[in-house]
Amino acid sequence: MVEEVKNNLQDLLSKVPGLYSVIITDRDGVHLLKVSTDKAPEHAMRPNFISTFGLAVDQGSKLGLGKTGTLICVYSQYQVIQMNKLPLIITFIASDSCNTGHILAIQKQLDPIVSSLALAVAES
Amino acid sequence: MEKHLDRVMDEVVNKPGVFGCVFVNHQGLCLGAKGKASTESAGLIAAIAEQAAKLEPHSSAPIVTLETDNKTCIIQRAGTITGAIYKNRSS
Repeated sequence: MVEEVKNNLQDLLSKVPGLYSVIITDRDGVHLLKVSTDKAPEHAMRPNFISTFGLAVDQGSKLGLGKTGTLICVYSQYQVIQMNKLPLIITFIASDSCNTGHILAIQKQLDPIVSSLALAVAES
Repeated sequence: MEKHLDRVMDEVVNKPGVFGCVFVNHQGLCLGAKGKASTESAGLIAAIAEQAAKLEPHSSAPIVTLETDNKTCIIQRAGTITGAIYKNRSS
């Protein structure tokens, strides 16, 4: 199953120009699945960076706008888009000029993958 | 700022046969949508316009028309903004 999912994610990388990496992690940033091109910045894929999303979600909930769904950070060369699928986090790392809306639209495609992985994580 | 875009979208939607429109920025994020148009398709619309433009890189921005049995979606990029108009085919 893992190979199949990895192939799916690899397909996404080739379909979205400028997308460098898709990482599915648990809430601590521990990698469950990772696909990336060689342009992906190593430091943005570290668990200690990815896990800060959990803190951002907690702070976001204080705004009174409901559950935090997506976090988009645009830097000078890269953009990092993280999606709240707790207990899982999906992280997309892309170039700053990459189509953000396209990445957001991918979310629905990933739902079946994420729900089956979330089940596996919840069981363990 | 949005008032102007809102007015333009109202004008577009009130044209005969048109039942929806979406405007998207260069990052694929939705600027506005009116009528029966989904804001979720914003990213895909920008991607379609971008990919189509690569076919003829030296020509001006192409107009992409997606046709189904009874509906048409017309997509064109102008500068940093991409617009999509949804129409009924009979009109």
